[in-house]
Amino acid sequence: MNAPLRIFPKQKRGRGVAAGWYGIARTATIDRAGAWAELDDGGTAKIITGVTEIGEGILTVLAQIVADELGIRPKDVTIGDNDTARSPEAAHAGATRQTYMIGNAVALACREARQRLVKELAQKWQVSEDDIICSNGIIRTLDHSQSMTMSEAVQYCKNRGVVPVGSGSFTANHTGLDPENGSGNPWQAYVYGAQVAEVEVDTETGEVQVLGVWASHDVGRAVNPQGVEGQIEGGVVMAVGQTLMEDYKQEEGYPTSMNLAKYILPTSLDVPQVNSVIIEDPDPLSPLGVKGIGEPSMIPTAPAIINAIYDAVGVRIHSLPATPEKVLAALREKRERADTHEMLA
Amino acid sequence: MASFDIQMTVNGRPVKQSVSPHLRLLDFLREELHWTGSKEGCGAGECGSCSVFVDGVLMKSCLMPVAKAQHSEIETIEGLEEQGKLNVLQQAFQKTGASQCGYCIPGMMMAATAALRANPYAGREEIKERLGGNICRCTGYQKMFEATELARDVMNGKLTIELLKEEKEEGPFIGSNSFRIDTSSKVTGALKYAGDMVMPQMLHMQVLRSPYPHAEILELDTSEAEAMAGVEAVVTHRDVQGIDGFGVFTDDQPVLARGKVRYVGDAIAAVAAEDVLTAKEALKKIKVRYRELVAITKTEDAIKTGAVIIHDDVPDNIVMHIPIRKGNVDKGMAEADFVIEETYYTQPVEHAYLEPEAGLAYLDADGTLVIQSPSQNITHHRQKLAKILDMPVNRVRMIMSPVGGGFGGKEDMHYQGILALAVLKSRRPVRYVFTREESIIASAKRHPFSIKYQLGLNREGLIQASKIHMLADAGAYNCSTEGVMRKAAILAAGPYAIENLMVDAIGVYTNNTPSGAMRSFGAMQSQFATECHLDLCAEKLEMDPVELRRKNFFKEGDETHTRQELGSVSMLEVFNSALDLADWETGISNSRGATRSDLAQSGNRPPCTLGARQFPLETIPTGQAA
Amino acid sequence: MLYYDQYHVPETLDEAFDLIHTNGGNYKVLAGATDLLPWAREGRGGDVNYESVIDISKINDLSKWQLQGNRINLGANVTISQLLNNPFLRKHIPVMAKSAVWFADDQIREQATLGGNLVNASPAADATPPMLAMNAELTLERKQKGKIIQRKLPLDEFLTGPGKTRLEAGELVTRVECDSMLGYGSAFEKVGHRRSLVLSTVCLAALVSLSDDGQEFEDVRLALGGVGPVPIRLKESEACLISQPIDSDLIDKSAVLAVKHVQSRTRQEYRREVVYNFVKRGILGACKDLNTTFADIDTDMKHRGNYG
Ligand SMILES: Cc1cc2nc3c(=O)[nH]c(=O)nc-3n(C[C@H](O)[C@H](O)[C@H](O)COP(=O)(O)OP(=O)(O)OC[C@H]3O[C@@H](n4cnc5c(N)ncnc54)[C@H](O)[C@@H]3O)c2cc1C
Ligand code: FES
Ligand code: FES
Repeated sequence: MNAPLRIFPKQKRGRGVAAGWYGIARTATIDRAGAWAELDDGGTAKIITGVTEIGEGILTVLAQIVADELGIRPKDVTIGDNDTARSPEAAHAGATRQTYMIGNAVALACREARQRLVKELAQKWQVSEDDIICSNGIIRTLDHSQSMTMSEAVQYCKNRGVVPVGSGSFTANHTGLDPENGSGNPWQAYVYGAQVAEVEVDTETGEVQVLGVWASHDVGRAVNPQGVEGQIEGGVVMAVGQTLMEDYKQEEGYPTSMNLAKYILPTSLDVPQVNSVIIEDPDPLSPLGVKGIGEPSMIPTAPAIINAIYDAVGVRIHSLPATPEKVLAALREKRERADTHEMLA
Repeated sequence: MASFDIQMTVNGRPVKQSVSPHLRLLDFLREELHWTGSKEGCGAGECGSCSVFVDGVLMKSCLMPVAKAQHSEIETIEGLEEQGKLNVLQQAFQKTGASQCGYCIPGMMMAATAALRANPYAGREEIKERLGGNICRCTGYQKMFEATELARDVMNGKLTIELLKEEKEEGPFIGSNSFRIDTSSKVTGALKYAGDMVMPQMLHMQVLRSPYPHAEILELDTSEAEAMAGVEAVVTHRDVQGIDGFGVFTDDQPVLARGKVRYVGDAIAAVAAEDVLTAKEALKKIKVRYRELVAITKTEDAIKTGAVIIHDDVPDNIVMHIPIRKGNVDKGMAEADFVIEETYYTQPVEHAYLEPEAGLAYLDADGTLVIQSPSQNITHHRQKLAKILDMPVNRVRMIMSPVGGGFGGKEDMHYQGILALAVLKSRRPVRYVFTREESIIASAKRHPFSIKYQLGLNREGLIQASKIHMLADAGAYNCSTEGVMRKAAILAAGPYAIENLMVDAIGVYTNNTPSGAMRSFGAMQSQFATECHLDLCAEKLEMDPVELRRKNFFKEGDETHTRQELGSVSMLEVFNSALDLADWETGISNSRGATRSDLAQSGNRPPCTLGARQFPLETIPTGQAA
Repeated sequence: MLYYDQYHVPETLDEAFDLIHTNGGNYKVLAGATDLLPWAREGRGGDVNYESVIDISKINDLSKWQLQGNRINLGANVTISQLLNNPFLRKHIPVMAKSAVWFADDQIREQATLGGNLVNASPAADATPPMLAMNAELTLERKQKGKIIQRKLPLDEFLTGPGKTRLEAGELVTRVECDSMLGYGSAFEKVGHRRSLVLSTVCLAALVSLSDDGQEFEDVRLALGGVGPVPIRLKESEACLISQPIDSDLIDKSAVLAVKHVQSRTRQEYRREVVYNFVKRGILGACKDLNTTFADIDTDMKHRGNYG
């Protein structure tokens, strides 16, 4: 009787880790954002600020912030157009500044609008403004003795001739860098991240599969944890693409990967399982304590994968992307080095 | 032109129409029927944003001539809702937060629908395979897998529909997973991106782009194109009334080439015409005479003395050099027990947002110029345009349309100016929608870097000195190079306390596709080097790379590389929590994958061996075994 | 974009040939359109104009298959999805299904045809190596002076270079005939830059049958794609195994013999190594597919890269 066919596994696994840091909002220059808020009929709120969704979830984040600031629900919040002729400047949608800059600007605007409303009610109820709270669509005194719905409150306010509006401008006091030695305060809020990656390397084809990523990121305060996870998962996968396959190629200035057949992006079959943990170390310099996650989410991924490849098969890839070809070439070199070593020994 | 009579059912409604036969099903749905839920992400079968059901079979509608779909039943994303309510799958996408920019969602929803129709009990791996033709650039797919599984279980009665409800009705809401307020517009295909918008009298614009990386333009004659029927405006740099030039940091890029092209894809002229085909034909009639110039395509060549000058006012081709100096690097290196050196390289990367650039521009009733586009920086673009067009700032109105993915790539104003010129000249609304190919060659990339890294450490693993020299390819225009160099430099040395430091980040012009802003903006490149290098150092020191990092992390009160005093620093906590989550096994840094005990735990997905799960070929008899 | 004024959808071969005739030279035949439409774009074929397009995908006869003796006769319009999912085809030519799981994605497989894949003659076409290994022969037909002229060509003779075939003007590929592989074990290996929607850098089809006692290779068929102008059959590698005992040195030799076929313009060194590994992996995979048990084989890298 013959032994069963045995095929030696050519897939090797390994793990790597990497850390990273990032600064929130515009770099080495003062950053600013503005917003307007109005407590509107029916106890709803209207927020105007010059930004829209690019997919990161900012509109939802703003709605949650507004809801908590005004004591209403996210679904009661209407966010107006991002239009240079109709809304205050929020400046650009980038630099991981949306939640930090615009979130805080909106919070400040809401506080002003709320204060206008509360002032009227405080007079009516003969209590101090500090003794009034708003939550879940109800405005009341701390001792519960007086209350009305936000809808009624807005109407009351308007009947008194006051429209409860507010505006907010948030500033991040960053300073420029010294041109000689680079010293300066480029940001006021920093975030940190770390990721572990597990890979499987096929030593016969050089293919690397990233199977798992364990990511931990400090975001200041997670307004919407699921949204934070979404940013981490998306960032990790974008980095997996850059680490393993993406390459915009040009030959003497002529692009040769000008379509998605040549420019290779990760598909659903190429992505790791991403396991996230969110750390909250609030920013002390802003009203909300939030920081950000959009960009920092992808910083540790590439080195974690590259370090994991080394752990798995003992080759260090120094240039991205770590294509199957590069990995296999490195394995060959390693073998040849070992052979020479053997011969010399 | 010939026409073809098409008859089909779309989302249950009968449709009968005479169309140009060369239309693809996608064009027919979008342009003729205005069902714009299905998107064109690539036009070549590579992305799935156009996926629809044709007689119950999922197909890529960009690969289907409309005549092929004759007499068939088409279902698009707009047909998924049930009695005006989100269906279970749509609700599941909402519940898991599976949509971000939303541009892939119509196709992805259809693919997930197809997966569950094909197998109502499909497992995670099968779902993944069935979504394998649909690219999402935002989400990393995970929440889509979760959503599809959730919908499957609800539909099978394994989970109750209650689970699809929002987790919290009452405040406080910060810290809770409130539903994304944009989800329903995305999972129904209702949201209009710029390329989905139409206006009465709208013209279509096409742009003539440079076929050379570097050339002088000796002649630019548009007369023949202008004379064509259906052409309403041809614009060139000659139409710029104000001060030409835009950019995020310096205004080194003209709206349309001025005497010179600097990369393949540089815009030269544009035509606005009654339809895209006429505009394309007109482009062919524009005569351009070039004198090719030596092209610089390598950063090393750009900084050689006597190199060809790409921008006259920058004779050394250096866009930006950011230095950071702290302590005494030479001394630090000299005193280190180990000095370890390596060079790292990163490649240019395309943002590949699923939504190719698009814009719709027009004049308001009061003569204000309005531009709707997925711009990531309307404030800045308005300022630039006012200057370029010599118009008061408040006569230029920029509206940020929903952005189908940006990642920094839509911070550059590389087509809004052209649209503005075309509108001002034609006095009609003008729309411009990029093809994927155009988007890739014309838009900026992530800067490729080469990074020379030198680290001095003592025997205990404390970093004594760090010297990092980075050279980055800015391509033909500055775009965000200045900022990218700054961020790369500030963050390069990593979250580690280092006394002696010397960092240089230099971005140089070449005749390659411009490099610009991209998610994590130089910091990704520089810290890639740092974190690889630390592992290399740990190995040389025969140390645990985890320990090496822990020893050097910033702590509260430390000074950063730019000498800023840090407040609270969460680095160590963050790092430890990642390791805990991964159940990391400590050990010194060598290639120890073979002996690790922390591998293959539950946080991993199984390796992908295509077909082995979904298609158990083994179960099909292949003949008698020997 | 692909531009045309007329779109014809013949339902019989006869109608198709008449259309070919009436349209003179200015027409294009199209089946699934999955090669043609992406090709007619910037950076590849660019904008392309034809007077008419003749869509042959609705010619029913070309979508059928049948068993003829020990050969399977497939219509040119058989889709990749049918090759993947049809139980009869999976039984007789399972290696096609194994290649099909790697082919594009679910959606494109529904449209993409076998005929289109072969006629398109991409060096990396995934259906070609398995078909070569199964001794595929094409039926080519055209109509001249009212008469159908039919000829048959083995697939390897049909393919002459990247995008080049012996297809003549007015001719259609109507059928593809190949061996039924009952009794064979099979494997399909493919590597590209990712796992879905991926072009082969190298792909290999391996078919193996063993002697009754399971000690010897009775037959071995190997074909390779992605590594040269056209996919090829590895006759020498096969010959060194046929009627030989299952032996690791011989398998190794067979793999070494395959390496010299790498003639691609790029990534040669990589492809050579993968070819070497794939031949070994393919042969063993095909053996394993037969559920056989035999002597332990050490497949660990023997040659350490100094093959060929
Ligand atoms: C995103 C994407 C992924 C892909 N992935 C793969 C892959 O993984 N592997 C792979 O091999 N291919 C792949 N392809 C290529 C393509 O799908 C296949 O080559 C397909 O089999 C072509 O068949 P078709 O019917 O669509 O061809 P068509 O595009 O209709 O035709 C292709 C060519 O063949 C001619 N033609 C077609 N049928 C006949 C006939 N019967 N007689 C004469 N001439 C004929 C046409 O005139 C045309 O020149 C992919 C394509 C896309 C868009
Ligand atoms: S697959 Fe159709 S648009 Fe991308
Ligand atoms: S949400 Fe998928 S591409 Fe943006």
